[in-house]
Amino acid sequence: MLETKNLTKAFKKKTVVSEVNIYLEKGESVGLLGPNGAGKSTTISMISTLLPPTSGEVWFNGQNALKESQGLRKVMGVVPQEIALYEELSAYENMKFFGKVYGLRGKELESRITHVLDLIGLTDRKKDAVNTYSGGMKRRINIGVTLLHEPEILIMDEPTVGIDPQSRNYILDMIKTLNKEKGITVLYTSHYMEEVEKLCDRVYIMDHGEIIASGTNEELKSILSNEETIQIDVHTLSMGFQDNLLHHSSIRKVTEEGLGYRVIAPKGEDLLSEVFELAKQTHTKITGVSIQTPSLEDVFLHLTGRKLRD
Amino acid sequence: MWTVFKMQWLRLFKQPVLMIMFLGLTLVFVYFMGGAQGAQNITVPTYSDELSSEELDRWIDRLNEEDTFQFVESDYETVFDDIRMNETAFALGLTENNYEFLIGREDMEIATLIQYVDQIFTTEMRLQDVEDRFDLEDITIRNFIEVETVSRSAAVSSGDRSQLGVVVGMSLYFSIFSILFLMINLVEEKESGTWNRLIFSPLTKTRIYMGQLSHYLLAGTFQIALAFFILRYLVGIEMGTNYLEMGVIIISFVFAIVSLGMLLMGLIKSPQQLQVVIPIVTTSMAMLGGAFWPLEVVSNRLLLFIGNLMPIKYGIDAMTDTILHDQTLSQLLTPISVLLLMGIVFMGIGINLIERVSEN
Ligand SMILES: Nc1ncnc2c1ncn2[C@@H]1O[C@H](COP(=O)(O)OP(=O)(O)OP(=O)(O)O)[C@@H](O)[C@H]1O
Ligand SMILES: [Mg+2]
Repeated sequence: MLETKNLTKAFKKKTVVSEVNIYLEKGESVGLLGPNGAGKSTTISMISTLLPPTSGEVWFNGQNALKESQGLRKVMGVVPQEIALYEELSAYENMKFFGKVYGLRGKELESRITHVLDLIGLTDRKKDAVNTYSGGMKRRINIGVTLLHEPEILIMDEPTVGIDPQSRNYILDMIKTLNKEKGITVLYTSHYMEEVEKLCDRVYIMDHGEIIASGTNEELKSILSNEETIQIDVHTLSMGFQDNLLHHSSIRKVTEEGLGYRVIAPKGEDLLSEVFELAKQTHTKITGVSIQTPSLEDVFLHLTGRKLRD
Repeated sequence: MWTVFKMQWLRLFKQPVLMIMFLGLTLVFVYFMGGAQGAQNITVPTYSDELSSEELDRWIDRLNEEDTFQFVESDYETVFDDIRMNETAFALGLTENNYEFLIGREDMEIATLIQYVDQIFTTEMRLQDVEDRFDLEDITIRNFIEVETVSRSAAVSSGDRSQLGVVVGMSLYFSIFSILFLMINLVEEKESGTWNRLIFSPLTKTRIYMGQLSHYLLAGTFQIALAFFILRYLVGIEMGTNYLEMGVIIISFVFAIVSLGMLLMGLIKSPQQLQVVIPIVTTSMAMLGGAFWPLEVVSNRLLLFIGNLMPIKYGIDAMTDTILHDQTLSQLLTPISVLLLMGIVFMGIGINLIERVSEN
């Protein structure tokens, strides 16, 4: 349905998106995962015909979407990363305006507005100016405005950034429903791996402007199938202990995680007794150990040696 | 396009500060103009030792027929004291067949006053003269004489011109302020992302720009028209009757300014910076273009040359010419084309810069 071919963007010779090839099938929910500055927003801007690429193409239903953008624009809904609304106006006024921009008029427009307001749970606040809303409500109306014209393909750029878990779950459930029940194709950008894991059928992992891995959740995690993640909680963090872990021959990666360390090591090796030994040497008190199945976070860590978020 | 256009109005009405700027500036300015200008409704104490009070009344009524000056009845002693105490600058004394002025101090208005009284007097005297000779043809004669007075008032001194130039110039100056400040909305749209929402919608870029620009054009035109309306009907400054000409000049001028705004938006991207730059640009432009004082008082060649590059100069010139000299569109072709040309050039460069910025 939608496909990019070697999509590349350079700002003043600095390449921020490099030869990105991604595709979306109809009805799919696809995640684009990457840390801050990976080039996610830039990629999305190019796909949504906002930003002309330095090179590369975007194809939509067999049409070059950069040359013939109308086809895509009519059926695409884009949720920008920022709150892109007239904040001095009410939710209703914003919806009415953007609805009209998509050619909706009269009764149909009104009924869609009513429907979407209900969906995003803002019916009783529709008359209030958006700048009086809470962060979570702003995020919801930011999405709501995009849903009015019932897009076939929904492109979302970190739609849940900076809000409380409750609003976040509300939004995620809503998107999931749209995708699964209405069959809307979703491209979902985030640096929260748990969101992408929950929502998306397939994931692209992006770092420094390049796609470094892609596949279903399972496929990606199978990159780590030979490895396991051990979370070691300690009483107080200790540099010495961390060094010891790092220098252990079979431990591949160590990162700080909460009050403790996250360690990736090959499966099957009986590492635990050695870990306790290392702790003893540096007088570190271990308060808990758990072996975890790898998450996309671990995949990212494995691929780049860095965490998604600091 | 109309959707975008209407949205801008809706936004304007929701922004009290902008609204106040938009209308408030006009009102404040007109208030100051009314006060500082003063030429309107200047009171002229009028006395006569020779005429009966009915005759004096008749003369005062006649003199007050045009509302440039306000003639009020007084007597010689009061007037003399007032002038001595510097409470009045001048007074008019009437005799049987002539008039005199008592002048206490130099005042800008005296020349105009003398001219005005002289005109009325001459007309009346001649009327009287003719009436005395041909008692019967009263009506035709009156008509004939009145035609003549009209042509007399069209002969204007350079003082009138520079004075009107400043009134017009100030109106335009404030309108530039409002228009440019209003246009910060466009930059804010770019910042907030609503501009992007429009770009990736099915609306074409041309329509988005047209919707935006037509809003600023209409708002600017409305503001100038409002200022002139107030000046004409509430303050009483003569604005002429060449509505078509005035309309065309106003629209061309606003177009040039909106284009200038686009150029500024292309050069400066943040609303905060624009809020600083706009007053500077507007004020220096108005100074150089002769909005605060007539360019005749400027002798520096370079300044005059720069003045010629300011849209406001052509606006002022064209407007004063059509108000004072009854110039028609064909005579105003030069200033109007200069304004339109400036508009097209600024707009071209401006939109290019804005588009380049967003693509980087
Ligand atoms: N207009 C621009 N001019 C110059 N550099 C830019 C521009 N837009 C983005 N960049 C750079 O491109 C890189 C990628 O930015 P982008 O916004 O695409 O990242 P992102 O993955 O969306 O990050 P985040 O999670 O913080 O939103 C960054 O290093 C950024 O500084
Ligand atoms: Mg981003």
